[in-house]
Amino acid sequence: MDKPAFFDANCSVGRVGYPHLFDIADAAGLKQEMATAGVEEALAYHTIARDADPRLGNFRLMEEIKGHPELHPVWVVLPHHTAEMPPPAKLLPEMKACGVRAVRMFPTKTHHSFSPADWCAGELLSALEAGRVPLILDAEILPWEDVHGLLKTYSHLPIIMANCNYRQNRFLYPLFEKFPNLYVETSWFMGGGAVEDVIERFGSRPLLFGTNMPRYTGTAAVALITYADIGRKDKEAIAGGNLRGIFEGMWP
Amino acid sequence: MNTYFERVHAGLPLNDVEIIDVHAHLGPYFNMHVPARDPGRMIRIMDLCGIAKAVLSPNMSWESDLVFANDLMRDAVASHPGRIYGACAVNGNYPELSGDELERCFEDAAVLMIKIHPAVSKCRLDDKRMNGIYEFASRRKLCILAHTWLDNDPFGNMDLFSGVAEDHPDIPWIMGHSGGPYGSRRAVELALQVPNIYLDLTLSMCPARQVEFFVKEVGAERVLFGTDNPFLDPRPQVGRVALADISPRDKVNIFGANARRLIRFESKRGHLSGS
Repeated sequence: MDKPAFFDANCSVGRVGYPHLFDIADAAGLKQEMATAGVEEALAYHTIARDADPRLGNFRLMEEIKGHPELHPVWVVLPHHTAEMPPPAKLLPEMKACGVRAVRMFPTKTHHSFSPADWCAGELLSALEAGRVPLILDAEILPWEDVHGLLKTYSHLPIIMANCNYRQNRFLYPLFEKFPNLYVETSWFMGGGAVEDVIERFGSRPLLFGTNMPRYTGTAAVALITYADIGRKDKEAIAGGNLRGIFEGMWP
Repeated sequence: MNTYFERVHAGLPLNDVEIIDVHAHLGPYFNMHVPARDPGRMIRIMDLCGIAKAVLSPNMSWESDLVFANDLMRDAVASHPGRIYGACAVNGNYPELSGDELERCFEDAAVLMIKIHPAVSKCRLDDKRMNGIYEFASRRKLCILAHTWLDNDPFGNMDLFSGVAEDHPDIPWIMGHSGGPYGSRRAVELALQVPNIYLDLTLSMCPARQVEFFVKEVGAERVLFGTDNPFLDPRPQVGRVALADISPRDKVNIFGANARRLIRFESKRGHLSGS
C-alpha cells in the first residue's frame, strides 16, 4: 500500500487524572491507537514524568516501552540545581546509553516551576545543544517571548513546539523566517490550509507529524497530512523524514 | 474498491459516500490567520478529501457585523451552487435585526440553517430575546446549530442547550462541538434525554474513540459530520470518521445521510442540489 511512513513526534504513556473518555495508559494501548491511525513509530514520554516526578517517570518509561521497538524514549528534564536530576555531564551520557531521542521541558510556574533562561537552565540547554538533542516544548504553556529567547541563544538546538494550535501563525511565521532550528509538531496545527501555507512560504522543513495519542485520536492528524495539497516528498518529510533527519544530527 | 484506510493514507477523496459538512465557516477571523478563508480554496480542500457540500456561516458573524457576515455568506452560496449552502447568523442582542436577517437570508433557497453562538454574543440561549429566532425556526422546521462548551459558559452551556431543545421539540438542535473535548459524556446524557438533539463532531483536538463512543451510546443516526472549515482544516475530520471503528453503514449516516434527513437540500427555486 502506498502510504507515508508516519513517525509521531508527540505521544505518551501513563495514566492521567483527567482522561477524556477512555483510560489508555500503557504501551499496548498506545500501539493499538497507532495501528488504528496507521502510525508506525512514535516518540513517547511518560505522564508520570510530566505530572509527578521527571526522574521517576523517565525510569517508568524505560520499563513500559521495553519490548516495543516502535516506541522511542523521550525524557522529561529539569535543571540539576535541586538534585532532582543529575548534572548534564552525567545526564546526557545516561540518555545516550538509553537511546533517548528527545527531551521535553515544562519550564513555567504552573508546571515544573523553573525558568528557561540562561541563569537557571543554561547549563542543561548548552549540553543539549552540544548533543543536538531535540528539545520538545509545549506551545500551550510557554510564552513565545521565551521561545524566541531559546531559539536565539541556542541556535544549534532543534526546538520542537508540540501542541501548537491553529491560532499561532502570527507568532510562528516571523520565527520561521529567522530560525532554522524551529519545528512545529502538527497534531493541533489545523487551521484551514495551514500546512500548504507553511510549505509555500518555508518549505516542509519546519513541520513534524504528531498526534498527542493516546489521549487524542491519531486518525485526524494522519488525514491532515495525507490529504494535504503538496507533493509526495513533502508528505514523506512531514510524516517522518524531517524527524529522522534531526535524529541523524544527534551526538555529533 | 480500496478500504477507507487505504484511501485516506493514499490521499484519495472518499467519493463513494456523500459527505456533508453541517458546521463550516468562511472568511477572516480577528484572532488568527486563516490561510484558506475564501470559498474557492475551501472547495479545493473539500475536493481533496471528498466533502460534497458545506453549510456555512462566516467566522466574523458574532464578534462583528452579522449583516455584513450574512452578505459574505450569501455571496459564497450564490457563487458555488450545489457545494456551499448557508446558515443564517443571528444574535439575540439584536432581536429585530435578527428577524430581518432571517427573512432576508431565507429568501435564498440555498440558505438552510440557523447558526447562533451564545458564548461570543453573550446572549443566553434562554434569553427571551431569542424567542423570535426560535419561532422562525419552528415555523419552518429549520435546524439550529449552537456552539456549546461544557465549562464556564453562562450563555450557552450544554444544560441551557438541552433546555431550549426540550422547549422547542420541533426544531432539530445541533449541539456544536458536542460540548468540547471534555463534554462528550454530558453530551450523550443530554442526547439520550432530548430526542431532537444531534451531536456535532466538529473539534480541533478530538478525544480518542469519541466517534465510537457517540455511536455506541446514542446511535450513528444522531451524529453529524462537521468541521469548522476554514477556521479548522476539514480534512482531519474526514480521517476521523473514515478510520473510526464503526460499521460502514454508521459512516454513511454520519458523513451525510443524517444531514440529508434533517436539512432540505432540495431546490425550492431551481437551485442545484449538487447530488
